[in-house]
Amino acid sequence: MTPEEMKRHLDVLELGARATPSEIKNAYLRLRKLYGGTSIVLDPIAEEFSDKKRSKILQEIEDAYAALLKAGREREAAPMPYAAAAPAAVGAAPKEAEPAGPPPADLVFSGPVLREVRERLGIDLLEISKLLKLRGELLRGMEEERYEILPEEIYLKVHLKNLAACLRLKPAKVVDDYIARYREWKSKR
Amino acid sequence: MANTTRLAKEGEIWAVGGGKGGTGKTFITSSTGTTLAKRGHRVVMVDMDIGGANLHSFFGISRPQKSLTSFFESGTRLSDLTVDTDLPNMSLITGDIHSIASDTIRFSQKLKLFRQIMKLNVQNVLIDLGAGSHANTLDTFLIADRMIIVLTPEVIAIENMYHFVKNSLFRKVKLTLKEYGFKEIVQHIWDRRQSYGIKNLKDLIDYLKDSFSYIRTILDNELAGFRIHLVVNMVRNNQDILLGTSIKSVLTKYLGVPILYSGYVEYNDVVWKSVRERKQLMLNYTATGCAKQVETIVDNILNGREVNVPGGYA
Repeated sequence: MTPEEMKRHLDVLELGARATPSEIKNAYLRLRKLYGGTSIVLDPIAEEFSDKKRSKILQEIEDAYAALLKAGREREAAPMPYAAAAPAAVGAAPKEAEPAGPPPADLVFSGPVLREVRERLGIDLLEISKLLKLRGELLRGMEEERYEILPEEIYLKVHLKNLAACLRLKPAKVVDDYIARYREWKSKR
Repeated sequence: MANTTRLAKEGEIWAVGGGKGGTGKTFITSSTGTTLAKRGHRVVMVDMDIGGANLHSFFGISRPQKSLTSFFESGTRLSDLTVDTDLPNMSLITGDIHSIASDTIRFSQKLKLFRQIMKLNVQNVLIDLGAGSHANTLDTFLIADRMIIVLTPEVIAIENMYHFVKNSLFRKVKLTLKEYGFKEIVQHIWDRRQSYGIKNLKDLIDYLKDSFSYIRTILDNELAGFRIHLVVNMVRNNQDILLGTSIKSVLTKYLGVPILYSGYVEYNDVVWKSVRERKQLMLNYTATGCAKQVETIVDNILNGREVNVPGGYA
C-alpha cells in the first residue's frame, strides 16, 4: 500500500496518520453503526442521508477497513518487518511487495529511528510502556535521546533489548548502535 | 463585514452559540473567558442573549448597574459599559433582561455594535449568544474569529444545532456574495433549486462553485475561515463523549465544512452549586473534573487541536 492509499483509507475512517490498530477498529465499528443504523446524531437530518448515500458511505468504510486490515496482516506476516518498517530517510523504500530482507547495513538505530520503526508498525508508546512496565517518559526519553534522564548504561541496555524485541528488531544491533551514541555523548560531558 | 473581524491589537473574538436554550452556552462563555483571564489575557465578555441575559449570574453579580440597554437606548459607548469582576483583567458587558427584544434591533445599531466590539482594547472578546437562529444572532456569530457551538447529548439539542450551523453557513455564503456584488444569486438559485437538482446547502455551494469560477475563488477564500469548534456539555458517559466524534462526521458530510471537536464537560452538580453560591467555577472549584475539561477546551481552541476521546464507539 502506498502512503497516499494509506492516507485515503485513514481519511475515510476519519483518523490521523498515527492511528493504532485498535483505533482503526473502533472507528470502523463506530462509523458502520452511525451510518448503518439509527442514532440520535443522524436521525434529525435523516432526509439528508438517503439510502443510496448511506450505502455509498458504508461501502467506502468497508473498503477502507478491509484494505487497512489486509495491510496490517501482511505486515505481521513478514518474517523480519524492519525492512519495510525502516525509515525512508535511510534509503529503504516502504514497499510491502518487496521481500522483507535484512535492514541496510548502514542503518543506525538511533532514538529517532526506533521511534519511526515503532510508528510505522502502528504501535503506541503506551502499549510498550504497559508491556515492559516502563514509564512512558523514559521510553520517550530513549526515542528523543534525552540521555540525561536515562538510567545507567547497564540498565539502559536491558531496556533497549526489550524495546528491540517489541519492535521485532535484532536486539544486539539495536543495543550496539544506541549505546555507541550514548557513550559518545557521555565522553563529551 | 467579513473582512473586519480582527480585534484591535490582534485579539480574537470568540462567540458561543448553538441553537437550543439550556445547553450551557453561558456556562461555557463564562468559564472559558475566566480561563483566558487567568492566563493573563485581557478579556471582555459580552452577553448578547438579549431577552434572556444571565451571564452576570455566573460572576456573582445579581443586578448589574449597567447593561447593553444603554447602548441601544441612549447610545452609550460599549467601552463605558464594562462591569468589573473578581479578576482585574476581566470585565463584563451585561445583557438586558427587560426592555428589548432581539428582533427590534435595527441594522444600523447592529453594525455600530459590531464596530465597537472590534474596537474594545482587549485580547479576547467572548460573546454569549442567545438561543435560536435569528438573523441578529447568526450575524454576531459570524463576526467571531472562533465560532464555538455548545450542545448537550440529546436529540433536540442536536437537531437545533444542525439548524443553527446550516443557517450560519447559508447566511455566510449570502453575505459574502452580496459583498462581492452578487446580491440576488444565492436566493435566486435556492428558490429554483428543484430545477437545478439541488437538494441541500452543500449542493448549492457546490453548484455555485462549479458554475462560476470567480465565485469558486471567492467562496474558497472566504469560507476557509469557516471552522466550527464543537463542545459537548453535560456528558454522563463515554458514549456521550463519542457523540461529538459522530456529530463531527455527520456535519462534515452534510455541510462540507471543517469541524473541530474541541472538548466536552461532564455533568456535575458543582456547576449549579457555584452559580448558587455566587462563585465563579474556574476561580473556586479548580480541582473539579469539569474545570479541568474547560481548561482542555481552551487549550484546544487556542491551538486548533481536538480532544482525545476514549476508546470504544457510540
